[in-house]
Amino acid sequence: MSLQKGFMPKLIIDNIAVEVAEGVTVLEAAQSVGIHIPHFCWHPALGKAGACRVCAVKMVDGPVKGIQMSCMLPAQDGMVVSTTDQEAMAMRRQVIEWLMINHPHDCPVCDEGGECQLQDYTIAGGHGLRSYTGKKRTHINQYLGPHIEHEMNRCIQCYRCVRFYQEFAGGTDFGVMGSAGRIYYGRVEGGQLESPFSGNLVDICPTGVFTDKTARFRARYWDYDMAPSVCPHCSLGCNTVPAARYRELLKIVARRNDAVNGWFICDKGRFTNSVVNDPARPRYPLVDGRKVGWDEALDNLLLRIREFGAVHGPESLAIVGSSRLAMEAATLLYRLFAGIAAGSLCYFTLEEEADQARAAITHLNDATSASMGDVQEADLIALVDCDLLQDGPMMALAVRQAWRKGAKIFLVENDVAPEAQKGLPFEWQSVSLLSDIPIREARKPVIICGRGKGMQDVAPALTSGVKLAYLLGGPNAFGAALLSAGHGATTLAQAVASGKVKGILAVEVDIPPELLQGISFIAALDWRATAIVKAAHIVLPTTAWVEMDGTYINNEGRAQRFKKVMHPGLPIMGLDPAGHPPRRHETAPPGGEPRPAWQVVADIIERTGTERDVQPLSGQWQWLRHLDAESPGQRIWQNMKQVK
Amino acid sequence: MIPTQLRTRLEQHVAAAVTSREAAVQVMKELQGHYGWLTDEAVGEAAQLLGLSPLQVEELATFYEMIYRRPVGKRVVHVCDSISCWAMGGESLLAQLAAHLGIGPGETTGDGMFTLLPCCCLGNCGESPTMMIGDNLYGWLTLEKAVEILQQESRSMME
Repeated sequence: MSLQKGFMPKLIIDNIAVEVAEGVTVLEAAQSVGIHIPHFCWHPALGKAGACRVCAVKMVDGPVKGIQMSCMLPAQDGMVVSTTDQEAMAMRRQVIEWLMINHPHDCPVCDEGGECQLQDYTIAGGHGLRSYTGKKRTHINQYLGPHIEHEMNRCIQCYRCVRFYQEFAGGTDFGVMGSAGRIYYGRVEGGQLESPFSGNLVDICPTGVFTDKTARFRARYWDYDMAPSVCPHCSLGCNTVPAARYRELLKIVARRNDAVNGWFICDKGRFTNSVVNDPARPRYPLVDGRKVGWDEALDNLLLRIREFGAVHGPESLAIVGSSRLAMEAATLLYRLFAGIAAGSLCYFTLEEEADQARAAITHLNDATSASMGDVQEADLIALVDCDLLQDGPMMALAVRQAWRKGAKIFLVENDVAPEAQKGLPFEWQSVSLLSDIPIREARKPVIICGRGKGMQDVAPALTSGVKLAYLLGGPNAFGAALLSAGHGATTLAQAVASGKVKGILAVEVDIPPELLQGISFIAALDWRATAIVKAAHIVLPTTAWVEMDGTYINNEGRAQRFKKVMHPGLPIMGLDPAGHPPRRHETAPPGGEPRPAWQVVADIIERTGTERDVQPLSGQWQWLRHLDAESPGQRIWQNMKQVK
Repeated sequence: MIPTQLRTRLEQHVAAAVTSREAAVQVMKELQGHYGWLTDEAVGEAAQLLGLSPLQVEELATFYEMIYRRPVGKRVVHVCDSISCWAMGGESLLAQLAAHLGIGPGETTGDGMFTLLPCCCLGNCGESPTMMIGDNLYGWLTLEKAVEILQQESRSMME
């Protein structure tokens, strides 16, 4: 009977009738009706190990009887389960007491305290007083690099770390040694963890064996400023929760999104806080290097633009955005361009990035675009001109999951340097042409295109059923390409080559110095201390992504909302104690002047006198206003009738 | 460095295994036989032969109690400390052997002859208490019997 297709076992858990898909465990079935059975070793992304023995339940009736581990037991028809049975509760309490035998009483000085699964379930499981009076087992910790702190004495042997590191992520330099009471999770010798996904050990450890060293001893869970966010460090748009305190971005943890990053993020996304906290960030509006107020800076900008127009003609001015600029500001750039009658509107600087993003919006639609969730389910994957670990590490992890399930991976030989393929966490077969790959024989084939020229050869391979993924330049490259195509924009490289650009209004964009020769006027909006900010005559400081609400459209055409985590301002950590408390009465915190780029752009448009009350995301982009940051995001094709 | 002959034999052994991990125990035992214990160098060689990382070899080496990651005496005396032997006096046997040899568990005698190690069940519960020296399994032990066995083992090493 259980072999019938679509069979759904029905069972009863704590008097609640539950119907689940076949293969679902009793633990998950209970979770589906809001009953949370304590567990440590089981993890939705890693499955079961049966190592911790905490998830005991009593099987009152049905095919299995007695005390059982709910994570190991598939739900079956006719099961009657009690999670509140005295015997099951006693078992859980005693197992937790046993797991706690060697655990130090160091919660007050442990960074996990307050966000510790062991702490929660120890209390929930009813263990409060230790009856063990013997000596505790102790370990010597290892140096695991600048990002992760190791404290083995806290370990409860759940095997989550090693299952993630070796099985899920393909690392080989970290594992589990010894047996029985001598189990040790670590490396052969101390040293930096090699996996580009090592930071997930912090999230996945149910207690404080692995904690984020970069945020060590800085704040408790209940002190954090937190909000659902999206990673800006590549085009994949992994979901995150940044945590800040005292105007300092302390750490970033992964946020689940099954269609995008699953449960994890890469180390680049996790440990790149310093750009937000950088003391060199532009914090004040500057005119010719002089600190001024916003009004003065904006009036000055308008004046300079008029003067510039009088000398060179307004058509010599280029408005330049980028793939890292959020949709809110990006959608306003055209109106700014029209408002000041500038000559060039650019969403990309270099031709290569623009070409690639154009290819993505041309070839991708709701049917052909592969999410990272789709990549994990593929049975054949072709990699064309990819530097996965550089341009989208989490895509490499998605490919690995497909490979673990038996997918065949092909790498089309290309211009990408062979070193780029070193350390990829899966095996592949090299072929010289895309057409050498038996794509037609596959059920769920996916082609992944990187930044090289190979993507141009992809079109012929696009027969029905083939899905496609692109690794693009920045977090909003897809959105920038849509706008660029919609407004017939050019690239800055092209505009400069035509010789007509004499001034640049740069909106969160990096511009190589060779494109700045012969430019007599630069105004820059940015939150990073880039070369163009240093060269600019007028600097207008903007907020980082964690300091505002915004929207990115990721590499697969998925629009995702990120929320404001923290107010902008100089981190208290770096301030001169002599200047504290501040003795001037101000309404903003020190360094709190930066404003979201869209607000600054809207302000400039309003000052040109062409429009009043400028709001972002209007017209065909209005649907983006209603995006829920805690939803999986929405693909553009479901919301826009015409996409060029 | 291991002799070419040994390397070739181990390579053939790995090639014949369905997965290389399956050959790991055999490779480690043979390297241990060559060096006397599984040296750091041997871990590196095993990793290279098996296509694993040194960490992955270390995981296996430290799991099995008959793979020695520290120098040991010529004969390693494994005295069972699991439940059946414990019930039949295994605990006193270990203590008495330690006193007889003048070393603690985990230590090696001054002449380099014996290393004394408590170990997990040897599968010889019916004849408990029990111990194993090299590939020889001994049951129904008393201290007298055990001391006699040590003398025999010692003599056989001298010859």
